[in-house]
Amino acid sequence: MSLPDRIDPRPPRRIYRWDLDKTYLQTDFDSLRDLLRTAFQKAHEKVAVPGASALIRELSEQGDSRLCIVSGSPKQMRAVLEEKLKLDGVKWDEFVLKDNVGNLLRGRFRALRGQVGYKLPAILESRVHAPVEAEEVLFGDDAEADAFIYSLFADLIAGRVDERVLSQVLEAGGVYPDDAERVRAAWKKIPVSDPVRRIFIHLDRLTPPAQFSAYGPRVVPIFNYFQAALVLLADGHLTAPQVLKIAVEMVQTAGHNIITLSNSFQDLLRRGLPLQQAAIALSQALEGPNKLLAAMRPMPDILSAFSKRLAALGTPPPPPPVQAVDYVKLIHHALPRNHKARTKPAQ
Amino acid sequence: MEAMVGTQPQPVTIAFDVMGTDHGPAEVVRGAAMLSLESPHIHTLLVGDRTLIDEALAETKHNGERISVQHAADFVGMDEKPGEALARKPNASVAVAARLVKEGEADALVSAGNTGAGVLACARHFQLIPGVRRAALATVYPTRSVRGAKEDPFSLILDVGATVEATADDLVTFAVMGSAYARIISKNERPKVALLSNGVEPQKGPPRVVEAHARLSEMADINFIGNVEGIDIPKGTADVIVTDGFVGNVCLKMLEGVHDTVVELAQYAYKESLRWRAGLAMLSSGIQRIKDITDWNQYGGAPILGFDKIFIKAHGRSKSRAIANAGKVAAKVVANNLGHAIREGLKK
Repeated sequence: MSLPDRIDPRPPRRIYRWDLDKTYLQTDFDSLRDLLRTAFQKAHEKVAVPGASALIRELSEQGDSRLCIVSGSPKQMRAVLEEKLKLDGVKWDEFVLKDNVGNLLRGRFRALRGQVGYKLPAILESRVHAPVEAEEVLFGDDAEADAFIYSLFADLIAGRVDERVLSQVLEAGGVYPDDAERVRAAWKKIPVSDPVRRIFIHLDRLTPPAQFSAYGPRVVPIFNYFQAALVLLADGHLTAPQVLKIAVEMVQTAGHNIITLSNSFQDLLRRGLPLQQAAIALSQALEGPNKLLAAMRPMPDILSAFSKRLAALGTPPPPPPVQAVDYVKLIHHALPRNHKARTKPAQ
Repeated sequence: MEAMVGTQPQPVTIAFDVMGTDHGPAEVVRGAAMLSLESPHIHTLLVGDRTLIDEALAETKHNGERISVQHAADFVGMDEKPGEALARKPNASVAVAARLVKEGEADALVSAGNTGAGVLACARHFQLIPGVRRAALATVYPTRSVRGAKEDPFSLILDVGATVEATADDLVTFAVMGSAYARIISKNERPKVALLSNGVEPQKGPPRVVEAHARLSEMADINFIGNVEGIDIPKGTADVIVTDGFVGNVCLKMLEGVHDTVVELAQYAYKESLRWRAGLAMLSSGIQRIKDITDWNQYGGAPILGFDKIFIKAHGRSKSRAIANAGKVAAKVVANNLGHAIREGLKK
């Protein structure tokens, strides 16, 4: 367990946990060539997913939050990754990287690619030190096991998963005994509470969203970070002007436009996310003191497009049902995929 | 030449009538999903039953940034009479989609549903281009020859059913529209245009064909090669063949019938005799090539020409690949401003 990277004496009200590769950074490692290129990239050559850094900066504006990064990248990349985050203006509180050299030297080959035995103890140990009332929002991607691990983390600390199921999952996930022991030890130290509000899964591989429905409505697959910002506005983590700032950045720097943003909005509505109030808040943000934003075309047009997309659906769909997650059944989602499975397009 | 902004093609939105096809809404949704992955500049507006669309979309790999949905409660079935059905169902998906194109929410319409309902919905919502009296339903068919920069094996024939009795004026208009379409889609700068008749001589055929022949011969901007006969259709003698909707439809159905019969004969031969089977096996690569060329899934859809907005009619049996390709054809027609090309052609 690494020490916190930033000392903030105030207890955090909110904790935002981020993965890096394919979640924050646009990374290709589906082939050996991609892997090598990624390993030797300099900080300025690395590219963040559009809107990710803006979202992190806006979330940190609240001042009483913590940014905890747990990445599967090797520890040897710490310097270049930290430099990249600094270039993007991202300030972090914890930054955990994987000890792949250690795993290799100790002959722990399953741990090289396994995610459950790495990320689950890391985020549980981080939670041990958090105030019981601190809410959590987690960000991952569809390339590996993030939806599974984050959901299991949430349900473990909420007391919805028992020791028997945890043992079955750790065994089926090929977790080494010492890592399994770390999971159990940290879990026992955490008071029972239900702090995880959302788990965002960036659809880097464009996995069909229905593949995450087994995790319930807490997991929200997203095509871009404007979608995450809209949900976080509805959840009270961001204000409407902050969402507009993120949208403006995505329009100005990443080629997004009135169509992609309004389609992104409607996509969430069709999946049953209650964003009607968020849309009203965005409209109101363009009035009064935020005239500067209104002047920044094409925001007014985008909001008008939102109204049309909303009307196009007729009656809003019901929210997806909350359900218990069957982790034993879903463990195959968390197992490392072979090269063929990784490169095969999802149906 | 595809319209470009810098190095990026202009964004285009295509409305898809999702309902009323032979393979059901999910197949159209899969086609649109495919398009969202393959063509970043094409946005799709799926019109139909929202619940069915969302169910299909959630299970299909797609890019949600490039797809939106417009709910439409009704649809026109394949076996319904278009006029009656649209009167009873003003919110049928094809009518809603046509209205959205008219209102500028989308740039073109693609439908694999009831052809008559599609044409009628367009007639109600779109305007005919000045100088066009009747719209024409065109279709492409495979030929022995290739044409244009893309070495396109397909020729265009129009009209195949929209205007049963065409006048000489109509035939000339069809020639201008077909020529413009072939120029854009096949990248064929000077497409060869011919009138379908019962002989190659200028005086052969009914009076309207003879009159159209005389007028087309004087139009310098049309590469008019005169009359062709039925035998010239599969040969690919012309790139664009002009006829009225009655004759065109008979030709189209006959071409489809011949294709189906050849396939059935090959299947019969395969089952009937070991020697024939061996022969077919030896020809398998050639047969595959012919199948590839004649596979209508590859060319997507055929246009209704003459309206100020674009309507691409995909085959009712279209699978996802054909739907995606129909969307690409529609986007290409929009990007190259077919309406402008037709208007310019008719002025001359």
